[in-house]
Amino acid sequence: MNQAPLDARWRPTAALARSMVTAALAVAGALLLSDPSLVVIGAPFVLLTGIGLLHRPERTPTVGSALDHQVLHEGQGTTSRLAVTDADDAEVLTRVVQEAPYVVARPRDGRVAALLGDEPVPDIEIGPRRWGRRLLGEERVALFTPWAGYRFGPVTAGGQLVRVLPGPAPYDSRAEVPQPLGLVGAHRSRRRGSGTELDGIRPFQPGDRLRRVNWRVSLRTGDLHVVTARAEEDTGVLLVVDALADHGASGGIDGEASSLDVAVRAASAVAEHHVRSGDRVALRVIGRGREHVGYGTGARHLRRVQHTLAAIRPGELDGRAEQGGGLLQLGVTGGTVVLVFSPMLAESVGTAAATLTRRGVAVLVVDTLPPDVRPAVPEDTDPALAALAWRMRSLERSLVLDRLATLGCPVVPWRGPGTIDRVLRSLARRAALPRVAGR
Amino acid sequence: MRGWAEGLGDLTASQLVLRGLVLLGPVVAVLATGPAGSWAPWWVLLPILALAVGFAALPESSVGIATYLAVLAWWTLALEDGLDPMVLVAVVALVVSHVAAVLASYGPGEMPVHGPLVRRWAVRGALVLLVVPPTWLLGRGLRDDTAQHGIWVTGVAVALAATLAAAVALAGSDREAQP
Repeated sequence: MNQAPLDARWRPTAALARSMVTAALAVAGALLLSDPSLVVIGAPFVLLTGIGLLHRPERTPTVGSALDHQVLHEGQGTTSRLAVTDADDAEVLTRVVQEAPYVVARPRDGRVAALLGDEPVPDIEIGPRRWGRRLLGEERVALFTPWAGYRFGPVTAGGQLVRVLPGPAPYDSRAEVPQPLGLVGAHRSRRRGSGTELDGIRPFQPGDRLRRVNWRVSLRTGDLHVVTARAEEDTGVLLVVDALADHGASGGIDGEASSLDVAVRAASAVAEHHVRSGDRVALRVIGRGREHVGYGTGARHLRRVQHTLAAIRPGELDGRAEQGGGLLQLGVTGGTVVLVFSPMLAESVGTAAATLTRRGVAVLVVDTLPPDVRPAVPEDTDPALAALAWRMRSLERSLVLDRLATLGCPVVPWRGPGTIDRVLRSLARRAALPRVAGR
Repeated sequence: MRGWAEGLGDLTASQLVLRGLVLLGPVVAVLATGPAGSWAPWWVLLPILALAVGFAALPESSVGIATYLAVLAWWTLALEDGLDPMVLVAVVALVVSHVAAVLASYGPGEMPVHGPLVRRWAVRGALVLLVVPPTWLLGRGLRDDTAQHGIWVTGVAVALAATLAAAVALAGSDREAQP
């Protein structure tokens, strides 16, 4: 729980000063000028001053607040609870949650007051509306004595840097992955094995298990026949998120999505799907932070991937990343399926996707550029010039996408559930065919 | 100007009402000398209006003190007989303005005013105003004896003692009311 600073103390309010000065000068003026009207005007202020002074506080309260949850998904909420001690001298408590981008607070936008004694200390519900690192629950708290003679604070309390994970996007896929090469999993393998998917029926051979004997066919043919099945395997899925820039405006989980919003939410949804299918999932971020999560599986690994996604900050790569002839080093191994989430406005991302496709790696690009995006330009830029530049950039992007499609790297816009089913199926069919890959 | 307009737009409806009362109080108190026989000229009214606007914009600042002192000064200068019944209007206007400023300063302008707090302060304002009619009547009763300087000192001393007693009584009842 974050505590208020220790140097906070009670101070007379402006209201007390106002009533005190008004009362004093009214009485003094009445005496000096023999003007009884000043006594009449000053009388209520004398009373207000007297009562305010009589409620002079003696004890220093302590204030601290804490959130109920440390990890949240965007769209979820938590409660900020305030603990106040030694506040017997106080009558009114005011809580004002500091405004933060993509954070909403209830009730009354996080600005509440309460009469202590008559009402409990009000709780405030806080909900982040966008993934990322967010400062939640920072607030200003003030206490007032009866008749508003003295005020404690406002002091800053609370404030926790919470990593907001991407929202649980509804995503499911029934498509086979192109190259399952692992040991265990849910994908149908090209090899025969001990799975549940029917492969065929063949004559019995020494070593076959008796439970595999198909008695109906055996009786009909007069020879023992057994059922064969496909093996079930996992695959390696590499998620590549392009965080070189964030295009478009983000309105949080309920509003419009920027390119990075789409990329992060889609990558999170796909990672969750594949991890639940028993696949090994890795993440590589192309951007300033160059975040990387190795292959792994299980709920803990999924949480690690989501935490890394939530920590993404858009920005250009530094000089080190350009080593190796300007090519991005994605560390792709054989049999991996690569899903690139990118607005495809950076040449290096397109080049990397094309290179991997030429090497025979199954690559799928998910286009994350919002449809009606406009470039953010400095204020003094000529709008016509900016529009022309953006059109040229869009044309270049279209050429890159066409070239990728020609090479056999499908590019699909993200549409939620089933977005990549069709292309994954065609990639799987293509992977089953014999081919010569360039190296 | 644009900043002021934006600041006004951020205020909640209840805060706007309070700021209106803060603004109107001193203006009404000054204008109250008019029916008593001395209308405030524009060069008096305008500065007080400007101060009242500043007070309404910043109810936690010391602008309020300057505003009230200007009102007191005008009441001293304007009338020969300051105990005209209109002084009661002026007092009510000033107390309402003060209470509204207190309520407005419990939080930022974007914070809606807490209903139970308004009710509590409405009662307090009414209680405080109870002291005004006896004071006014006392002043009216002693008006003819103003030649005797000592009687005013005695009167004010008695008034202060009564006020102190009332304050102690009100504060004591407050403490008893708290659990």
